[in-house]
Amino acid sequence: MQPQYSLNLNDSISQNIARQRRLGLRRTGNVLRQSVFAALLGLACTAPAFSAQASFPPLVAPASQEHHVGKIIFVELLTPDLAAAKQFYGSLFGWTFNDMHVGPMEYTEASLNGQVVAGLIHKSVASNEHKQPAWLSFIAVRDVDAAKKAAVEHGAKVLLEPHNVPDRGREAVFADPQGAVFAVLASSSGDPADVLAAPGEWIWSSLITLDPDTDAAFYQTLFDYEVFELPAGPNSQHLMLASDNYARASANSLPADKAITPPHWLNYVRVDDTAKMAAKVVALGGKVLVEPRIDRHGGKVAVVADTSGAPFGLIEWPETESKEVSK
Amino acid sequence: MNIFLLRRLAIVTTIGLLAMPLTACVTDVGGGYGYGGNVAVGVDYYEPVGGVYGAWGPGYQVGPYRGGGHPWGGGGGRAHSYRPAAAGRSMPSIPSHSRGSR
Repeated sequence: MQPQYSLNLNDSISQNIARQRRLGLRRTGNVLRQSVFAALLGLACTAPAFSAQASFPPLVAPASQEHHVGKIIFVELLTPDLAAAKQFYGSLFGWTFNDMHVGPMEYTEASLNGQVVAGLIHKSVASNEHKQPAWLSFIAVRDVDAAKKAAVEHGAKVLLEPHNVPDRGREAVFADPQGAVFAVLASSSGDPADVLAAPGEWIWSSLITLDPDTDAAFYQTLFDYEVFELPAGPNSQHLMLASDNYARASANSLPADKAITPPHWLNYVRVDDTAKMAAKVVALGGKVLVEPRIDRHGGKVAVVADTSGAPFGLIEWPETESKEVSK
Repeated sequence: MNIFLLRRLAIVTTIGLLAMPLTACVTDVGGGYGYGGNVAVGVDYYEPVGGVYGAWGPGYQVGPYRGGGHPWGGGGGRAHSYRPAAAGRSMPSIPSHSRGSR
């Protein structure tokens, strides 16, 4: 009995050791599988962030050495319906589009007669979010970090920290002290030349704000603007912001009876016939926000919105001076 | 290798890798503006303005000055937050030469 017992005991110990080994191997396998899964999950999560560093097209090609601090050198639209935006702006202005994937983003570069006029980015908006697409103005600087320092010291909020965009340059996005959102860009390919915009290109920008006087001081600190005041109606201001001896933008009071509209930048496209183009906007599914009207320079101005609601201006700039100048 | 060590390694690896995109992405800092979780470069939406846009009265003008060359009278003696352009400076306009004429 004793040997038999001993044999059984030895068998039992051997089986137990084998079972422990199998269990150990299985556990090790599980841990290894978990590690691999964790690594893959981590890589999947980090991939969009790293791939988003893919480059945008340079602003100026071939690169130039021109720099025009204070000039609005680029505009970008974020839209929930990129196809509709392309259809709208393509039909309205004859823009053509070059689609590209920049990291996880659907991005399209709009051009007119070979000149880059804008960037359009797709981003979905949730049905429960009451957000409005808008054109973002990029103002030229030489040093984005110095601009950030000055902006923050004078009451701006940093909405997007300075960062490098390969082939584009360095940029940051701020809200000025009154809340108008704008971007600064130090273009690595230089700034676009100071030339008269062709019809279908951006020609002008306005800062429409609660207090143009103090906002002009803020932007003067950042871009060293010369500031001129033009005659305006009662309780309103019309300031002209200039650099390099060119007018770059106006700063206007928000209409008093619509003070709930937040301060914002508005960009204008040059057109040959504002009324005709405003009608075309409506035919394409957009809206007219401000009916065509004669402005100071003698041409008509209108404010419209695209199919997703992003507002922009239309402005005539006749080759010859008009007699129909509003005083 | 000790399986407990392997397990800890797996946990640390998971936490570390999951934390990387959080540090790489920019988050909303208020004002209704910022990036979504999966967009590291781009812009976001404004708060709505379209519903209340307009009310530009008859004297409301936004366009650039045209003609140039008119001497600027200075700040009119009024106090401004900004530094007015020097008196005598010509009121600037936008560029007048087209792309092909440069």
